[in-house]
Amino acid sequence: MTLDKQTSAAGDAPASPAAAAAPGAGGDRTQAAAAGPQPALRSPLRLGARGLILLALVVFPLVITDPTTTAIAFFALVFMVAATSWNMFSGYSGYLALGHAVFFGSGGYALALLCQQLGVGGGWPSFALLPLCGIVAALIAVPVGLIALRTRRHTFVVVTIAIFFIFQLVAYNVGFTGGTSGVFLPAPPFSGASFNTPFYYVAFAILVLSVTTSWLVRRSRFGLQLLAIRDDEDRALGLGVKTRRVKLSAFILSAFFVGMIGGLYFDFIGQVFPNTAYDPLFDLAVALMAFFGGLGTLTGPLLGAAVLESLQQYLTLSFSSSALYLIAYGVLFLVVILIMPRGVVPEISDLLARRRLKAIGASRAADKQLSGVAEVLR
Amino acid sequence: MSNLIEVSGIVKAYGGIKALAGCALEVREGEINGLIGPNGSGKTTLFNVITGYEQVQQGLVKFRGVDITNAPPDRVFGLGIGRTFQLTRMFARLTVLENVLVATQREEGWARSVTRLAGSQLERARALELLDFVGITRLANEPAGNLSYGQRKLLELASLLIADPAVLLLDEPAGGVNPTLINHLSDRIKDLNRDGKTILVVEHNMEFVMGICSRITVLSQGSTLMAGAPAEVRSSPAVLEAYLGADEEEAALDAELRRELDAAAHANATRLASVQATVVREQGPDAGSPREPEAAGPGASVRTRPNGPPPLLQLSGVCAGYGGADILKEVTLEVPEGAITCVVGPNGAGKSTVMKTVSGLLRPRAGEVSFRGERVSGMTPKQILAKGIAQIPQAHSLFPEMTVQENVEMGAFTVGDRRLVRKRLAAVQELYPVVRDRAHEKAGSLSGGQQRLVEFARCLMLDPDLIMLDEPSMGLDPRTRSMVFDMVALMNRQGKTILLVEQNARAGLKLSSHGVVLENGRVRLTGSGHEVLTHPEIGALYLGGAVTATAA
Repeated sequence: MTLDKQTSAAGDAPASPAAAAAPGAGGDRTQAAAAGPQPALRSPLRLGARGLILLALVVFPLVITDPTTTAIAFFALVFMVAATSWNMFSGYSGYLALGHAVFFGSGGYALALLCQQLGVGGGWPSFALLPLCGIVAALIAVPVGLIALRTRRHTFVVVTIAIFFIFQLVAYNVGFTGGTSGVFLPAPPFSGASFNTPFYYVAFAILVLSVTTSWLVRRSRFGLQLLAIRDDEDRALGLGVKTRRVKLSAFILSAFFVGMIGGLYFDFIGQVFPNTAYDPLFDLAVALMAFFGGLGTLTGPLLGAAVLESLQQYLTLSFSSSALYLIAYGVLFLVVILIMPRGVVPEISDLLARRRLKAIGASRAADKQLSGVAEVLR
Repeated sequence: MSNLIEVSGIVKAYGGIKALAGCALEVREGEINGLIGPNGSGKTTLFNVITGYEQVQQGLVKFRGVDITNAPPDRVFGLGIGRTFQLTRMFARLTVLENVLVATQREEGWARSVTRLAGSQLERARALELLDFVGITRLANEPAGNLSYGQRKLLELASLLIADPAVLLLDEPAGGVNPTLINHLSDRIKDLNRDGKTILVVEHNMEFVMGICSRITVLSQGSTLMAGAPAEVRSSPAVLEAYLGADEEEAALDAELRRELDAAAHANATRLASVQATVVREQGPDAGSPREPEAAGPGASVRTRPNGPPPLLQLSGVCAGYGGADILKEVTLEVPEGAITCVVGPNGAGKSTVMKTVSGLLRPRAGEVSFRGERVSGMTPKQILAKGIAQIPQAHSLFPEMTVQENVEMGAFTVGDRRLVRKRLAAVQELYPVVRDRAHEKAGSLSGGQQRLVEFARCLMLDPDLIMLDEPSMGLDPRTRSMVFDMVALMNRQGKTILLVEQNARAGLKLSSHGVVLENGRVRLTGSGHEVLTHPEIGALYLGGAVTATAA
């Protein structure tokens, strides 16, 4: 339907610049530029809002010291990192990976085993090893990516799931993971009400790092190539995009951050078991969070993880005796997907863009075109 | 002039069917070369082979003397061969500007491509310049998915140009595009050529091809028929033969007819400049025509017959298309009951679209389709099917993993009465022994001709009044083709009215009692099958020229 609307405009589009080359060109240029500055106009406001949220996140554990609440906040941060990193590959490239628990769990095992072997103590010394966990996960991502990325679409999804189960099976059966008895991490020297606080801040730091990286990727040529692959991989290949390299790089980058946050998560939990490290629910959760917030957007996965993870933790704690929390969780998810199939962030930003246009008093015809501007604003 | 691209001896087979059978092609530096040929002659496959989208078993592709056979698409692009696609492809969720920025650097180190911004100031300026050049700058920040069909073609061109390739391979740049835009496009292509770009263009719009190309290469059945100047190609009897379809079986009997066609083609070639005649729906004696058809005199055309029985199917003023411009432009035609009506015309004329409109898959934007005097346009495909209109689509439509019998039974899916189904099954088994003999084999294991018969059988399970056949002979060898046509005639004798779309115009028209020529979505000629076949203008309709003056 939108196409029909566009056709009328399309009819004269090619004709006019051809006929009136010089003046037409100048006019077009200014029009294109006019659409440009709008993000700039709004940016102080956005920047302010972002600053406020950032500040709130920084002071949060100082103001609210209830351990239950800070634990929930920590879990939310962990999943915000996981969903953002997952989105860095799957959201941008359109390849839905349902095996990122491989990197999450491997990060956990890496930290546990490193601490064990090197005799590193809990707390800050173990935190220092987190980048190493990320590197281990990234190294694992190389062969996994080489295998899985040979396939596309549904096959890719299935292959990632299969690889995930292979890792789980291996973790159960090889010696160094301790099999079902798992591996324990050194106890951190924190205590009392502020036990969660260091974990919170480290998670927060990793979050800032991963979101910044995701933002840089989105703006880079690399990101543009990923998005091109998402829309039409064969066409991208025909335009000289080295699709294999680009996809693999994103996959590895994504695994790095998931591995790092996985290390921190299991450091907090204190032990790693095959079934918690390689948990199929993790695979689904990160994907659902990104879908909930908006696939391929910067803020979507953050929002999705913050809302869904805190809600889930809260419901689990409140109604853990019944399965009620699962139902509530499912209902919320279904409702959002039904009302906003593209995710919360894209739908709402479109809505806002349309509102603003009406406020400016633009015509109804232009209104439809604005969905495009919304894309740019995001 | 040196050859930029040299292709020789390419063989590309899908299963047993050879899409390319040793074809050769030369693209000289600085020329606009047109690649033409009837449907299924392998033009797009050749594009895919050159640009690395398809691997070949045999043959050689050279670019600037370097062997690039079976090189991957990104490498081919890196060397300087850019291509567009028949069905335009772009990155729908990226903005128009971003689309252009994707290919900014043909050859760039991986590390650099990963770390830098999506587009430098310089690249953005260049991208905007190119959008200016094609004329869609004002849409720069629009998501590409919102563009119209024609605008997408322009965008596709701009997104290639940013990498400054030496050769542009354009796959049907004018396909499905309105006339204003076609002119705009051909101007742009000429501009590019003047700036030193070599261009190879596949196109069915002959006027377009003849207008811009300095040399033309003709493909037929996967091999190169000829290469030469436009005038040379247009006047070549062999080329016309390839388009109208040779009838090897009756070649001898047909000699006279062929001579007639050849004469017509020659006449056209020489008269092109002066002839402005409108052929639409007019069958009057033509002084210029070399011989008058003997079977039917003037005034016998279906459209002018005053007292005939009411037609079974009637289209009046039908306009329809897909999203972009209309494919059908006020098509008015009648399908008389009990007859075989054949619709012929060059590629992209709208033949298949006529069928889609009748079967309800496509809703007409204007005009009306009526069946037995009842308006059926606007009904759902299921309702139309229930009225007794069945279609056998162009692409092989059997379920290859199901058995022959299951496939045939699928045809009666909507029939509740099991006894009736069994009765009809017995009837089609009688008619087509293959349905019984190979009942429990997978449909995919049958030959092309056998699959066609199973498709007929499946269609007959509904016992429709009108059967629409979309290119039943496609991909079949001449013997099988004549067998399939015999079966079509048989169905007709058993009381089915048939609307036939056929690429092989000669064979199709010979079979039919009525012929309709479509060109550019308009009805150009109607008459008896023989009249249409022997009409002097038919060559021009296929190879462009005289008739196009009325198109705008």
